Amino acid sequence: MKILIVDDFSTMRRIIKNLLRDLGFTNTDEADDGNTALPMLRSGKYDFLVTDWNMPGMSGIDLLKEVRADDALKTLPVLMVTAEAKRDQIVAAAQAGVNGYVVKPFTAAVLKEKIEKIFERIQ
Amino acid sequence: MAFDADEEILQDFLVEAGEILEKLSEQLVDLERNPDDSDLLNAIFRGFHTVKGGAGFLQLDALVNCCHSAENVFDTLRNQKRRVDSELMDVVLETLDHVNAMFDQVRNRDELIPAPDELIRALDGFARPASEDTADPDEAVSEDSDDTPFQDSESDDQGDITDEEFERLLDALQDGRQQNAPAATAAIGEGSAAADDLAVASSDNDDITDDEFEALLDNLHGKGQFSGAVDAEPKASKPKAADTGSPASAGSSASGSDELISDDEFENLLDELHGKGKSPTVAATGRDQTPADKTPNDKTPKKPAAKPSAKPATTGNAAHSPSADNPAPTPAVPARDGAAPVAETTVRVDTKRLDDIMNMVGELVLVRNRLQRLGSNSEDEHMQKAVSNLDVVTTDLQAAVMQTRMQPIKKVFGRFPRVVRDLARSLKKEINLVMQGEDTDLDKNLVEALSDPLVHLVRNSVDHGIEPPDVREKAGKPRVGLVKLSAEQEGDHILLVIEDDGAGMDPDKLRQKAVEKGLYEQDAADRLSKNDCYNLIFAAGFSTKDQISDVSGRGVGMDVVKTKIGQLNGMISVESELGKGSRIVIKVPLTLAIMPTLMIMLGDQSFALPLVNVVEIFHLDLSKKNIVDGRECIVVRDKVFPLFHIKRWLIKGAANAPQPKNGHVVIVAMGTKRVGFVVDQLIGQEEVVIKPLGRALLGTPGMAGATITGDGRIALIIDVPSLLQHYG
Repeated sequence: MKILIVDDFSTMRRIIKNLLRDLGFTNTDEADDGNTALPMLRSGKYDFLVTDWNMPGMSGIDLLKEVRADDALKTLPVLMVTAEAKRDQIVAAAQAGVNGYVVKPFTAAVLKEKIEKIFERIQ
Repeated sequence: MAFDADEEILQDFLVEAGEILEKLSEQLVDLERNPDDSDLLNAIFRGFHTVKGGAGFLQLDALVNCCHSAENVFDTLRNQKRRVDSELMDVVLETLDHVNAMFDQVRNRDELIPAPDELIRALDGFARPASEDTADPDEAVSEDSDDTPFQDSESDDQGDITDEEFERLLDALQDGRQQNAPAATAAIGEGSAAADDLAVASSDNDDITDDEFEALLDNLHGKGQFSGAVDAEPKASKPKAADTGSPASAGSSASGSDELISDDEFENLLDELHGKGKSPTVAATGRDQTPADKTPNDKTPKKPAAKPSAKPATTGNAAHSPSADNPAPTPAVPARDGAAPVAETTVRVDTKRLDDIMNMVGELVLVRNRLQRLGSNSEDEHMQKAVSNLDVVTTDLQAAVMQTRMQPIKKVFGRFPRVVRDLARSLKKEINLVMQGEDTDLDKNLVEALSDPLVHLVRNSVDHGIEPPDVREKAGKPRVGLVKLSAEQEGDHILLVIEDDGAGMDPDKLRQKAVEKGLYEQDAADRLSKNDCYNLIFAAGFSTKDQISDVSGRGVGMDVVKTKIGQLNGMISVESELGKGSRIVIKVPLTLAIMPTLMIMLGDQSFALPLVNVVEIFHLDLSKKNIVDGRECIVVRDKVFPLFHIKRWLIKGAANAPQPKNGHVVIVAMGTKRVGFVVDQLIGQEEVVIKPLGRALLGTPGMAGATITGDGRIALIIDVPSLLQHYG
């Protein structure tokens, strides 16, 4: 499974990348915000998108909306990484079509659970 | 503290978050000037947010707490619930100091010292909308909070946006028929109350739980399903939320008793919304449900509560292990080729390694110099070609390696807005700091070495230079003083200028002070030129401030600054005009490792004079010199320069040698002081690599180091200031 990790903070990308690697997902790419992520998504045949919410340039929620508005990408599963589980934010994200969210900080086990949940739903 | 997290990641975090913190300090000072800049507010919010996020993974809890509170403040600010004022800035800046301190603690592997509770409390206070300070409720919040029975300060305490956002959400859900919020609330009496209740119930506890999220997804996409088409979703859920009227109010009144909603309550609420909302939904579906038919279909009216468990039952079990557990290997291979993966384009390198490379390049430069000399003597054309090739490559390599060590002076300048702001506030002065040329690059070592001297000079400008606002007004100047900091590259040098439009320096006062301190006799002091007077400030133990402030005035600073700049092969000079301001110019080489020099000969020994110090070279008929005050002088273009025969100082047995009739004179400058050196021969300009003197010679006055010349001999590098100090 090819995963794109989007976060403006490279340390965070590395953390997420390492966690995903611990779960056996080794095919990961990184982008530093929505603006760089979108072209990659459009050309890259990604199977899964993990994106931070709060980023300069294009934020995670805008990226999500772009992804859902794109015919080729609209079924791409998206996991949103957020700092808090603020209800209004999550509701908004859900309505924009997010598949799951995970609150920082999280462990590999939590990430695994979130990813599993997402794929349960898609199947 | 727990450091079981990956050490590499911790280091990365320290570096990257450290950069964010540096930026934050700049942005915060900026903010005080542009308190309404929403981009800036967002950037600062994001800064704290990002640091917090990273710290969370590294289990730096004290750091997380501190950043979290700061982040909340900026969340309030960027939502225009409060305006920036200086009290707030004081607290935020203090927080930043604590955050920086914690970073140092992490770096040193020390236990984190949490920020004081008062500070966190103060931050939390500022995170509340301003409206709550002043009992006068903010319109935006109060509009609907007034008619909601359960709403109290608690809910907009942390979730101001919730109401608005949820309102918007509801608006969207209400499917155009009741498009604007006031109309909607007015029109459907009970329904709107219920909607508000819902909003309250959910906003009271801002955090969403997993179960709630699952329920939400079920709502949007149908139980255990996911439909990619988004545009269908809002419509599908609209009728539900809009028509929740009576059932919802029952549910929320239960939850209203305590402010927080529990998972069960939320589930119940959803149950009710779905169960009883079913009938109005049907009516609605006909109208607006075209693309998302499956949503209501899949949804059984009565048991949304069972959803989480129902999901795995449908398809989950089958999909479980293959899809999520180890899907990586198989599709990975083909997917790779498709995209051009954007690999990381930067590598962090220990500066030690760069130093080593620089050293080796230095050696290479020496070899090149040597070969060049040999090549020019040789008749072999091929040899000459190869040597000139080597020359080109070495020069490029040297430039490239230097480039890797370059950092923008911004790294130092970035500290100043904060320094000036804090100082100005504590001295009750009004000061505008202008910075220019922050992107000028110079060697990393220099950037670090310049930091302290520059801070000292800027503090001096603020403390001694700029007058208090009242004094300035009386003098017919604008109340706000100006401190200008600029950097520019000039050839192979960097020029740093610190300028202020303050009171300037009074030469007479300086003279008087010099006499008082016993540095000069009265008549010697009277003879000092204006410029000499200004340079007195660099003398050790010289301070013109009668009152020692805690800012500056202890007289230990300026001489240290001068020594430090001297160590960097740099020069410092002062210009001042009484009543108009002062200007301090620092000139430092771009790099410390390789130094352009002027090679000279004294007897048969070669010496290297740093080119920074060299002003001009000319041939002189030594019979034309004058003797003033028992010293030899020459007059060049109506200016008088003291003349020194450095051969007498540096060459053994030359002290009493007869004076030549003709000689080469090199005019060298240190600060504003200029003197002439008589030398035997001028060889030319040569880039040399500075090698420290061996233990036996270390500390020899007047010598900065040694180097190997192009002809393979050893040349001593002259340290002009220390030479003059010792012999002159």
